[in-house]
Amino acid sequence: MQTQDQRFSFTGTGSEYFRIWIVNLVLTILTLGIYSAWAKVRRMQYFYRNTRLNESSFDYHGTPIAILKGRLIGVGLFAAYYTALKFMPLLGLAIGLFIALIMPFLLVASFRFRLYNSSYRGLRFGFVGSIKSAYVVFLALPIATLFTLYLLAPFTHQRIKAYQHNNSRYGQSPFTFTAGAGSFYKVYLLTLLQFILVGGLFAYGAFRMIGGSMATMPKEQIIFPVVIATYLVMIAASLLIIPYFISRIQNLVWNHTQLGAHRFSSTLSVAGLTWLIFSNFLFTVVTLGLFKPFADIRLARYRIEHMAFTPAGNIEEFIASEQQQIGATGTETAEVFNLDIGF
Amino acid sequence: MKTVNANYFDGLSALQQAVALNIAQGQLEVRGEKLIRAEPLSNIRISAKLGSAPRLLNFAGGGHCEVNNHADFEALLRDAGVLPQSLLSRMEGSWRHALTATVLSIVIAIASFYWGLPWVANIAAGRIPDSVSLSIDTHFLDAVDKGLVQASQLSQARQKKLRKRFDNLRAMHGLPPHQLEFRSSKVIGANAFALPGGTVVVTDQLIALASNDEEVLAVLAHELGHVSERHPMRQLLQSSVVGLAMTWYLGDISSLLAAAPTMLLETNYSRNFERRADRYAASMLRENGIAPARLADMLEKLEKSHRGAVKESGEQPSRIARFLSTHPDTAERIRDLRGDGSRQ
Repeated sequence: MQTQDQRFSFTGTGSEYFRIWIVNLVLTILTLGIYSAWAKVRRMQYFYRNTRLNESSFDYHGTPIAILKGRLIGVGLFAAYYTALKFMPLLGLAIGLFIALIMPFLLVASFRFRLYNSSYRGLRFGFVGSIKSAYVVFLALPIATLFTLYLLAPFTHQRIKAYQHNNSRYGQSPFTFTAGAGSFYKVYLLTLLQFILVGGLFAYGAFRMIGGSMATMPKEQIIFPVVIATYLVMIAASLLIIPYFISRIQNLVWNHTQLGAHRFSSTLSVAGLTWLIFSNFLFTVVTLGLFKPFADIRLARYRIEHMAFTPAGNIEEFIASEQQQIGATGTETAEVFNLDIGF
Repeated sequence: MKTVNANYFDGLSALQQAVALNIAQGQLEVRGEKLIRAEPLSNIRISAKLGSAPRLLNFAGGGHCEVNNHADFEALLRDAGVLPQSLLSRMEGSWRHALTATVLSIVIAIASFYWGLPWVANIAAGRIPDSVSLSIDTHFLDAVDKGLVQASQLSQARQKKLRKRFDNLRAMHGLPPHQLEFRSSKVIGANAFALPGGTVVVTDQLIALASNDEEVLAVLAHELGHVSERHPMRQLLQSSVVGLAMTWYLGDISSLLAAAPTMLLETNYSRNFERRADRYAASMLRENGIAPARLADMLEKLEKSHRGAVKESGEQPSRIARFLSTHPDTAERIRDLRGDGSRQ
């Protein structure tokens, strides 16, 4: 019986993934995007199979045709919304409303698809969340958040995570989520405080730097440097704030997630993630995008290798869900919801 | 007999069993401490090689093996006469193919940005219904009227007179009617631009800069040149597609960061668009008995006025101004327009 922490490990490498990525990219371009669904399966399989825990790897079972269908729906909706908003805002608004109305349904379908098509040690994951609760957490609560000037945002975030994690299964074993709304409020509040502090500092610095020449400028010209400065402040602040937020939330979520009696832990550091996101962005821009596959690998490795699993007993006792033992029924259910939309 | 180590999972529980694999007479044999299973190879789906990720052997009746020892497993397959890895896996594994693919995708990206996208935008621009493009103009004007520009200070009589001459200009050239809008703006200064629906906007500042109506008309003729070839709509479509692609590509970092490269790529019309609009304006002006050199005069004045404004503003913003410049080779255009005029 193992009770020691088991670290997740990631064995993918940038140089290996670059070759897979670029070959699949060219095939995608040459087939005018159709191949992208097959490329996605390769990509998911590469990341899943290189994610290991206790000597075994994960696997991805999504089929390209199912992904292609989901993509076509997703791209169609997005393109219609984007074009309409640009050319006929009223129609765009109507399409946006329609998307918002079906979004909870699409999200549930995509969770089901994603989890049902993931496996570890031959056992599939699963998602049993109801559509009704999905409409509460993905539609009702976000609307309420808007009307309370985002005061409800951390609460909504907590409800979404609880809905996702409490309804996930590994084989027959349920995941449970124990973080309360209070801890989400704490992360949000600290993030906001940092944003004010960092943003203020940057704004002050920017003003000191260009303020001098602004004074001699004719009034109508000031708008240009002000716009540029505001933009730079936003970028700088977000490069510092976003990693803080992402790391704190991931740690909070996984440190409060259980699989049966087994626990998880996540120990992302703010400094580590900040450097990673900043350098990834920089290298990706400088190499005109060619660094992207390396960036994806670095980020995945960082996030995965900072996670651990603390078993409370024998993990070999997990058994497949009834659904999976029946086999065909489970597959059919997934076929009906063969949607995978990456919103 | 050579065997390959693997892990076996029965698909019913998370139990991991260490096994040895062997292939004999078209059957895969799986042997472990408490397990012996033999399956014909035709009942097993062997995953194609994917980098150095483990290879998975899925049994049709449930259960699978995970193999990490690639070299030995490949040798086993080879000895058993199983076809080698797929073409895709081989391409994904080779640096030569990766390099070819890199060069190919860069060439495709450049070609589609410089030729493909403008070509598609040109076709698409011609198919957008007038009602749609006109509503873009209305929304654009509504948006800028809220801050960037103010109502024109020009007298109604003067506006009416300019509108009449503008109408004559385009009617002589056989162009359908287009809206002419007057605005005042200290921010954008002396300027004129055409919108996707064909509306032409001119600022009071430009009219003040011109010595006479002919110079104003010369600029308007240039803008009508853009309109007649649908440059504004084509530009809008192109930058929308580029923006969309950028957001999609860098989107997972932050859509805010993704907007930066788009801003730089959206720097207005290409040299080619400007030259075509100049040529169009020259012929339109000549038909109306106005020398194309009037446009050259105006270009000179506009450049001087914009450079002057930048110079006043500080020490070195001129580099940014040049980088974002709409008309990069004004001197050459002026020369061409003057040459054109003298030929008359």
